Amino acid sequence: MLRLILSRVALGLLTLLAVSVLIFVATEILPGDVASAVLGQGATPETLAVFRHELGLDRPAYIRYLEWLFNALRGDFGVALTNKRDIVTSISPKFDNTMFLAGYAALIAVPLAVGLGIVAAINDGKWIDRAANIVSLAAISFPEFFIAYVLILFLAVRSHLFPVLSTVFPDMSLGHRLYVVALPAVTLTMLVTAHMLRMTRSSVLSIMSQPYIEMAFLKGLKRSRVVFVHALPNAAAPIITVIALNLAYLIVGVVVIETVFVYPGIGQFMVDGVTKRDLPVVQACGLVFAGAFVILNTIADVLAILVNPRLRKAR
Amino acid sequence: MNEWERLQQAALSGRATRREFLRGAAALGITTALTSGIMVKAGYADEPKKGGTLRLGMEGGSPSDSLDPRTYADSVMIAASLAVMNCLVEFDTAGNPTGELFESWDVKPGAAEWVFNVRQGIKFSNGKTLDAEDCIYSIQIHRGETKSPAKGILEQIKEIKALSPTQVGITLSSGNADFPVILGDYHIVVVPKDFTDWQKPIGTGAYTLESFEPGVRLVFKNRGDYWKPGRGNFDTIELRNIQDVAARTAALQSGEVDAVNRLDARTVNLLMKDPNLNVVRTKGTGNRFCFVTRVTDKPYDNKDLRTALKYGIDREKIIESVYNGYAVPGNDHNLDALNPFYNTEMPQRKYDPDKAAFYFKKSGLGNVAMELQTSEGAWGSAVDCASLYQQALKKAGINLDVKKVSADGYWDNVWLKVPFCAVYWGRRMSADQAFTQVFGEASDWNDTNWKVPEFQKLIKDARVETDQAKRKELYWKAQEMIADDGGFICFAITDYLDGYSKKVMGNQPHARYDLNDNRIAEKGWFA
Repeated sequence: MLRLILSRVALGLLTLLAVSVLIFVATEILPGDVASAVLGQGATPETLAVFRHELGLDRPAYIRYLEWLFNALRGDFGVALTNKRDIVTSISPKFDNTMFLAGYAALIAVPLAVGLGIVAAINDGKWIDRAANIVSLAAISFPEFFIAYVLILFLAVRSHLFPVLSTVFPDMSLGHRLYVVALPAVTLTMLVTAHMLRMTRSSVLSIMSQPYIEMAFLKGLKRSRVVFVHALPNAAAPIITVIALNLAYLIVGVVVIETVFVYPGIGQFMVDGVTKRDLPVVQACGLVFAGAFVILNTIADVLAILVNPRLRKAR
Repeated sequence: MNEWERLQQAALSGRATRREFLRGAAALGITTALTSGIMVKAGYADEPKKGGTLRLGMEGGSPSDSLDPRTYADSVMIAASLAVMNCLVEFDTAGNPTGELFESWDVKPGAAEWVFNVRQGIKFSNGKTLDAEDCIYSIQIHRGETKSPAKGILEQIKEIKALSPTQVGITLSSGNADFPVILGDYHIVVVPKDFTDWQKPIGTGAYTLESFEPGVRLVFKNRGDYWKPGRGNFDTIELRNIQDVAARTAALQSGEVDAVNRLDARTVNLLMKDPNLNVVRTKGTGNRFCFVTRVTDKPYDNKDLRTALKYGIDREKIIESVYNGYAVPGNDHNLDALNPFYNTEMPQRKYDPDKAAFYFKKSGLGNVAMELQTSEGAWGSAVDCASLYQQALKKAGINLDVKKVSADGYWDNVWLKVPFCAVYWGRRMSADQAFTQVFGEASDWNDTNWKVPEFQKLIKDARVETDQAKRKELYWKAQEMIADDGGFICFAITDYLDGYSKKVMGNQPHARYDLNDNRIAEKGWFA
């Protein structure tokens, strides 16, 4: 069991290393470098050369990579090439914001999706099952910015129930934060619910056709008891995996939502880093994102083992 | 009845606006004590009021922003720096250079030797009094080993020295009658000598920086007793970076911000109907959108082909369908109608497929292959403009291949590298700057590579000419030459569209930038 977890963690670290190499190579392949991206149309060969030398871009790529890697291991991601700000201090409030929004959306979405999924499974084929399916599928089928703009138009511009700008600042109270970020959280909820709901429903249903469930029914148990006590624990593993994937999406895939709601998250920071070819920023963001993915997947794996009695015991 | 009486009557009867009245009174030399009584009676006593928090929502910032003036490139940092700092030279509404921290100046004939008088009694936010050394330092940080975008325009400085604590002498390597315009460049803001801590800038502006989260928000507090009368009226400025135009518009509509820049031309008509908002339009001073051919490459070395390409673009249609009418047609050179040297008698070139076909035939090139490279990296709608161009040329029997290339690295790999591509140019405050940077033989950005000696001599002569009538003659000729012979197909110059809540005053259009030259924080007030 412990060995299993340790090997998962080791694999995760290896993945991170591979990701760091990939990101570095990708940013090297991109046309242009930070000097020409920052100076833009105003670049002359002379100012370019000065800037490149200032940034150390005139040294070989592998040296820059190794240097960065060793510093990163010490927790030092360096300074942004563009505005010379320390990357860790720039990223951490943005990462906190991203986690806040993701956590907020997850707190609404996960209970909603799993709950509705179970309800749908219990009432397989009835109107509530169909309604849950149709509504969640419709929500996921619209592009995210469309949902966002519709919510803004009706709930913010027309009725003034919520603010248009969801920007959070360090001096805001938790209650105020929850209010300001409500619209993006609802939008994200609508985006991730369908996937989790349908996975919950179908894995519960597939367990429901197993012989031991039939046995439980034959014992005379109520349907709800069969679902919660007999079916759900066995159906949990795929549900947990899907939840983990969706949580990861909430952390790394919300740059459009950040832009539309003017939310200061890490996604916009990374996009700006890519357009400016700010390699240390992209590396750091990429590593944070990869880390989020690896950690969530590892947790999902471990949880799936823990909830399933058959996996818990090593063979 | 004398002029003053006539002006008073015009004011009281409502025939003259507040502005016209003030301008007239100033021209007559009437004192404020006399005018203010009339102004109250005439009902336009909108003397700037103090107080309030101005909340700005602006595009043109990013998480990599910095207050170091050597990095400014877009609106948010320009507006932010002008809240905290002052320039040496300011521009009035019409775009003429006026004194700011350089109060006035003298020039010797030949326009190479300049003496600038430093405004006296101005204090920085750290208590230091402004002197000539501060001004010199603030210029020098853009010279020498630096990546400052202002480096190029300051290369003409041969010597700069303090003649006294209140006078700066600048000698140029060759004369330039527009040198004060150069010093008005937004990068050149004044800080105390040897200042380097750009996280906490010290300036002579109306406000001090409270907090700065790059790409998110800047907050400024009024530091009191601003040296410009009637300006610096707000208690607090909150400048928020809102890149998404729909979010910016929605925030203005819902009253979460008081002013925004860069409204969407496609939806601005609807916004104008909102009774709580003012839309301020600055006509035809924005970016100049162009397709440029390099005249040293085949087949564009053929003047008849270039003429055909200029007649073959449907400017009106592009302006209607891409810019929703919020642009003026370009006339194949890069001055706009607000420039004092704009050639008003040159006929506007119009779409004429027959003429295009005629010149194309005359070029004798037959069915020559031409490829126009375009990209969203050039500007948002460059690809649409290129397709409309392609269709318009087809009507004249000219085939143009349009190639859409990656937005990434467009300025690096395409512009100045391929013979026919899309490019936009911003406004330059003087005709000399406009021509020297875009068509000068020594410019690194001469994307048409059009270096006719006669033209080069013309702009050199105009640069040192201090007789305005003679300069006008030279610059008018220069515009004709570019439009007639150059490889520059300038089809549209866009409008600036600002949105304000009704309570924000002091929001008039300005010849340089939107949001009243990005100085709304300094110039505006609440009704």
